[in-house]
Amino acid sequence: MAQRRRKGRRGSKTDQEFVSEAEEILDRMRQDLADLNEERVAGDDVDPEVVNRLFRSAHSLKGLAGLFGFDPIQDLAHRVEDILDGLRLGRVRLELSVVSLIDESVHLFASLLEQIGNPDALAAAIEPIGQLAERIQAARAAPAAESEFGDLALDPSLLRALTEYEEHRLRENIRRGRHICLIDATFEIISFEEGLSRLTAAIREVGEVLSTLPAPGEAPEAQIRFSLLVASDAPASEVVSRLGLPAGAVRLVRAGAAAGAAPAAKAPAAPGALAPPGPAAESDEEATVAHRDASEGGEPESLKSISDTVRVDIHKLDELMNLVGELVIQRGAIGELVSRLSADAATARIGSDFAKVHKALDRKLRELQSAVLDVRMVPLSQVFEKVSRVVRRLRTDLGKDVRLELRGADTELDKLIVEELVDPLMHVVRNALDHAIEPREERIAGGKDPEGRIRIEAFQRGNHVVIAVSDDGRGIDTANLRSLAESKGILQPGETLSEREALDLIFMPGISTRSEVTETSGRGVGMDVVHTNLTALGGVVDVESTPGRGTTIAMTLPITLAIIQSLIVVVARQRFAIPLNAVHETLLIAGAEIQRSEGRELLNLRGEALPLLRLAAEFNLPASPPDAKCYVVVIGLGETRMGLLVDRLDGQQDTVIKPIQGPIPAVRGIAGATELGDQDPVLVLDVSALLAETGRRRDAS
Amino acid sequence: MSSSQSESGAAAPRWQDLARRAAERRNAEVESVAVRQLLTFVLDGSPYAVPVERVREIVRVRPITPVPRLPGDVCGVISLRGEILEVIDLRLRLRLHAGPSGRASRIIVVHAADGGVAGLLVDGVTEVLPVPEDALRPAAAAETGNVETLCVRGDRFISLIDLERVLRFDAQH
Repeated sequence: MAQRRRKGRRGSKTDQEFVSEAEEILDRMRQDLADLNEERVAGDDVDPEVVNRLFRSAHSLKGLAGLFGFDPIQDLAHRVEDILDGLRLGRVRLELSVVSLIDESVHLFASLLEQIGNPDALAAAIEPIGQLAERIQAARAAPAAESEFGDLALDPSLLRALTEYEEHRLRENIRRGRHICLIDATFEIISFEEGLSRLTAAIREVGEVLSTLPAPGEAPEAQIRFSLLVASDAPASEVVSRLGLPAGAVRLVRAGAAAGAAPAAKAPAAPGALAPPGPAAESDEEATVAHRDASEGGEPESLKSISDTVRVDIHKLDELMNLVGELVIQRGAIGELVSRLSADAATARIGSDFAKVHKALDRKLRELQSAVLDVRMVPLSQVFEKVSRVVRRLRTDLGKDVRLELRGADTELDKLIVEELVDPLMHVVRNALDHAIEPREERIAGGKDPEGRIRIEAFQRGNHVVIAVSDDGRGIDTANLRSLAESKGILQPGETLSEREALDLIFMPGISTRSEVTETSGRGVGMDVVHTNLTALGGVVDVESTPGRGTTIAMTLPITLAIIQSLIVVVARQRFAIPLNAVHETLLIAGAEIQRSEGRELLNLRGEALPLLRLAAEFNLPASPPDAKCYVVVIGLGETRMGLLVDRLDGQQDTVIKPIQGPIPAVRGIAGATELGDQDPVLVLDVSALLAETGRRRDAS
Repeated sequence: MSSSQSESGAAAPRWQDLARRAAERRNAEVESVAVRQLLTFVLDGSPYAVPVERVREIVRVRPITPVPRLPGDVCGVISLRGEILEVIDLRLRLRLHAGPSGRASRIIVVHAADGGVAGLLVDGVTEVLPVPEDALRPAAAAETGNVETLCVRGDRFISLIDLERVLRFDAQH
């Protein structure tokens, strides 16, 4: 993703965001203004779409400036929007004075943007706004003369339904001597949008659609009728034949001026359909040249825009992602068909051809998928910046000497995950600052560097990103943790825990390693929330600590939440999906290989004891006959591993995990469901919950 | 996707018919009494109803995936135009006799008070019925049961389901 920004620009990131977006808008305005002026000078008919675009640009600029709190810019944009609205509705005449007024405004906007990070200079730059505003006010005084539509063969009710803009366009087209006609079109209700947009596009080839209105009277069953008011240079009969409509569908409302009298310069004002814009740089240049007459010299503006990023609403990307997800599911259905065709001798030939096409489609889909995913990725640098701001402030507040080291700021993660990551990460870092790093005197007494160190390191590991926060502080006192857990009744006195399990106690609700409450880290509602939040994202937290030496908290997160590859397994004839990024390997074992220790089932996996979980028993499904061969899916996240016993493996599939909606919230062990081409949904296992569950069971036994 | 669309497309006119018939009847009603619109359906041979405004749509029975660890009266989840919804077997939920779903069986998708949705499996949908408020009688076990009120229709009673109660599951699973 292009993240280039010109160096040396003053102001904060927020200001920069505003500037880059505002510049895009100004660029469009310059281009449109140049087109508009060219048409005005050449005496051509003005393309209404150009004026509409300018109007929309000013409107967006107004909204944007409002959003970021740049009142003077918002105010100026509002006035420019006003005058463009007047132009659009025919209340303001298109004259040189108006064009140069807008042009001056655009220049003023640009100079305001230059000064955005510099309040003093901004105040000076704002000064000309007052004068300009007055002139804008004056420009929009005289309204155009009204003309009546008495000579039109139109139903008055239809005329009343026209908006002011549509009336203006009708008047304008009559003035230009174009033919006005009414086209009736009937569509199937289910597909009318498509049909209507096809018809509209066809009309735009020959003229302008002034208005689209629902036709009066009853439409036939399951159909819908529209009347389109159309202006065109060619007579109605030609319009009919070009559109391939029945002759009765078109009615002439007003005949245009004699052929030849109509302006022949450009083809009819076909918004957007004609006159493709030239290469951007070139037309930009024209824009500037065309407007120099109206603006005083000043320093030459850069023709290149400062940023070449496009801003997109994340929800639009979600929509796109969903569509891709559905395509992927459809592909699965095609794959099914392919194998059915290939299996039958009668269709095997076509089946193999089909398979080739399917493969090509498959490849392209994968490319599309990864391209869309790529757009969602943002570097962690944004989060890191926020964290270091907080660290700087806390360092002063707490009076601690701490050095913050950041590594891997360019590691990329899904935008949504990055958003969700901020709070947990901030919490872990605060904890380190507040609890882990000792006061200076204590560090010196312990023979440590008086300056503490907190390091945040991010790196990619397979389909995951690991973000590790490590400090060289006092480490976690597990004995202290134990006694606290016992006093809260979380742990039975005398219960044996491994060092690792003892450390994991910090993720239990209500545990805080410090007895007093501090403003920085709150009161023991910390690490358990971090744990919950990360689990919700499909991630895990691992903690490692050496007393006196320091602590490392590693958060492992999936790179994206969107489409994932899953392994499909079958248990008691029901299919389940396991996210492939949590699957390490699959094994086929004989029942006799399963060993038991303290009532738990284990497998000797290359010398390591792998705890096993029977999915059928876990989910109360009928168990498969004992001693049969069975499959073990080795799953794991972070450092923990576990083997799932299943009846059968059923291949890999692309899956889009969807939440289950209903009165019963989150079923433990189920992350959601997915569709695999056929209708019944397949449940997706929540690997981190299953891992946690076996951990708990181990504690309980 | 296409198959589910065509299916809901087939179901939609029927739903609209019901609504239109109800609207016509409503116009004929005397305006003075407040009227509630109820969607009536059959469970184990008896008439039941839910308020129309709580109904999002009515769909045919489709493959239901059982979900482990759910209470027994939840049959599982269905996929509806990309959404995954839990479906409650209303017969079991109301402690009626269990029965297989037949040709007339439908899933009524209702809005929960918390903004969520859920499917209710019923034996068959009957009609949309306008009922004046004064035809409603408190149910015998309104305090404890899943039926809020009874509605008199001729000499028959229609049980109006208390959706809040039906959709509330204790967090014991």
